[in-house]
Amino acid sequence: MKNSYIGQAWLVIVLSLVFGAALAGVQAALKPRIEQNKLNDTLGQIPSLVPGATTGQAETIGGQTVYRALNDQGEQVGWMIPARGLGFADVLDLLVGLNKDLSRVTGLSVLEQKETPGLGDRITEPRWRDQFKGKPTIPDLVVTKTAPKSDSEIQGVTGATISSVSVAGIVNGAVARLREGLRE
Amino acid sequence: MPSPAIHIAPAPHLFGGALTTQRMMFDVLLALVPVLVAALWQFRLYAVIQLAICMVSAVAAEALFTAMRKKPILVRDGSALVTGAILAFSLPAKAPWYAGAVGSFVAIGIGKVIFGGVGQNIFNPAMLGRAFAMIAFPAALGASAYVVPDSPIDGLTHATPLTALKMLGQSTGLLPLFLGATNGSIGETSALACLLGGAYLCLRRTASWEIPAGVIAATAVIGLLVQWFSPVAGWTVLHELCGGALLFGAFFIATDPVSSPLAPRGKFVFGLGVGALVMLIRKLSGYPEGVMFSVLIMNALVPLINRATIPTPVGGPVPAKKAA
Amino acid sequence: MSQDGPTAVERFLNGIIPENPTYRQILGICPTLAVTNTMESAMTMAGTVLFVLVCSNVLTSLIRGLLKPHLRILVFTLTIAAFVTIADRFLAAYMYDMSKVLGPYIPLVIVNCIIIARCEICAAKQGVWTAFMDAVGQSLGFMLGLMSIATIREILGFGTWFGKWLGWRVIPVTAPEHWSTWVIMILPPGAFITLGLLMGVMNWIEAKHSARAKKATVAA
Repeated sequence: MKNSYIGQAWLVIVLSLVFGAALAGVQAALKPRIEQNKLNDTLGQIPSLVPGATTGQAETIGGQTVYRALNDQGEQVGWMIPARGLGFADVLDLLVGLNKDLSRVTGLSVLEQKETPGLGDRITEPRWRDQFKGKPTIPDLVVTKTAPKSDSEIQGVTGATISSVSVAGIVNGAVARLREGLRE
Repeated sequence: MPSPAIHIAPAPHLFGGALTTQRMMFDVLLALVPVLVAALWQFRLYAVIQLAICMVSAVAAEALFTAMRKKPILVRDGSALVTGAILAFSLPAKAPWYAGAVGSFVAIGIGKVIFGGVGQNIFNPAMLGRAFAMIAFPAALGASAYVVPDSPIDGLTHATPLTALKMLGQSTGLLPLFLGATNGSIGETSALACLLGGAYLCLRRTASWEIPAGVIAATAVIGLLVQWFSPVAGWTVLHELCGGALLFGAFFIATDPVSSPLAPRGKFVFGLGVGALVMLIRKLSGYPEGVMFSVLIMNALVPLINRATIPTPVGGPVPAKKAA
Repeated sequence: MSQDGPTAVERFLNGIIPENPTYRQILGICPTLAVTNTMESAMTMAGTVLFVLVCSNVLTSLIRGLLKPHLRILVFTLTIAAFVTIADRFLAAYMYDMSKVLGPYIPLVIVNCIIIARCEICAAKQGVWTAFMDAVGQSLGFMLGLMSIATIREILGFGTWFGKWLGWRVIPVTAPEHWSTWVIMILPPGAFITLGLLMGVMNWIEAKHSARAKKATVAA
């Protein structure tokens, strides 16, 4: 017994079983809460991105997951698209709020970015993001270096042209894909 | 009682008695005079303010840190003054006071004293301080910090020549680049001033001519290739050489005797490396100019270069020892 | 196993300064560098390590009579991994924001050398009470290490101290020509520089201390 494999390793086996059971228990107990946290993370953004909306409902349209933004009565008041694309340094994760007929952007938030600190990361500042509020989606949004002259222009962050252009491009692309998807 | 010193070294015995640290540092300061004149002409009072901030902070840092190490305070050798001046000349005219002050303290403290003081540092202290300040305060030292749209000084209202080239595809005339009537870091705008000061340094042997020669050679060759394969209207090799901090870096920054290789051949290789990296950063990275990073990267390679370029002693190579 | 080796109180006190994990043993440097740009993440990391270290040390001490020499590392790793996963799930459920900030660094506590070193050095050889006190002492030492670095980095990098939880601003917001936060302190290089300088200060204090002690014994 002393030299058999079981004799050597029984403690490891018993511990594995005990820990496995404990972890399974913890996971089972906490999973709903963690899932809710993750969902809230996305849904919690909807009211700030789509005016009048309080919650949302996930759906897959045109190959991308989008959220119908719903008001208190459960009526649809707009859309929210989680969009991602390449920025200057790394992938940018954005949330784009749109009104019901996709004609105007109602809000933009940056979930994740690794742009240059002090320059590119200023795309997360509300002052810059709020420029997108109320902008028409047709024609495509364009980034300029100076104060915008027409309705579809966004003033880029000084010294971070690539980050700014990327954000506008990601927004344009996401809206176009949703429009395409709805047409089918 | 100190034991009597017996110096034993193979021939030839050469000793430049006049080549003290103090004299070298004074030479560098003297060579910076044309640069200062150009800076005063282009940036007026900004140049004075920036120089004062950096030189005072550098000397204060030197006094503080050497006192902490209980070493005799060597402010009089002037090396802190030179570090402060080079740092100031590499900053934008309107850089806030704390960028220069923090940069100077880091340059002297982390760049020099931590390694053991003058002569012991691995990296060029001024460039280390500038790199720290640039990463710490990107908004104050980045490309956009150079432009002051409503400035009464004409030069400050335009983008720097290299930023204009990179972001807008605009070329700057050769004459303004040569004389220094462009925007840029305080000391880098005038190619003429850098050449004058640099020539003085090389003639006095305070700086080794091999380093600037290497930098200019590499930049010129790569610049020619770039001009050949992807030409930009109105931008030639000469623009490449006169624009940005290339000449200032080649003559005043890369020639720091402590952090550059020992042997002449090694110095030339070092210069080539700096020039090549500058062109790499200018053409293929997000930064418009790359003298600072190039010098720091090549500083890190100096021990390797030194090992690869051991000069042959007079009388032929040392025969390799046979393995026992 | 006999009760030789340091007592519980000695173990506890040793962990805090004389055998400080960060500055004396130089263990657990990965989280020290990675999560010290705010006090909140530093404290969450320290709390996680406290939980995992106490649990693993106590459990290891309880089963120390059953350990086979060649399988002990396996048992330590298994134990630590189980408690780290529990801590990770709890953070995701109850401190979701912190869990997002710390990301992979919570699961990486499994390979934090402080924990396995304490299991090996103390818990596998000494009683439960000693192991418990050792775990608490070492965790407090680790917390001190993280807090000292995070204090400097958060104040210089963000101008705040416990900014997310308590909202304390140490350096007032001013115009960029007067003062600015130091982005480099938020980035990894800031961690290396701060850790290096603080370690230098600790060595300097220690050198002064031992020099004085030497002088005292010579005089006596």
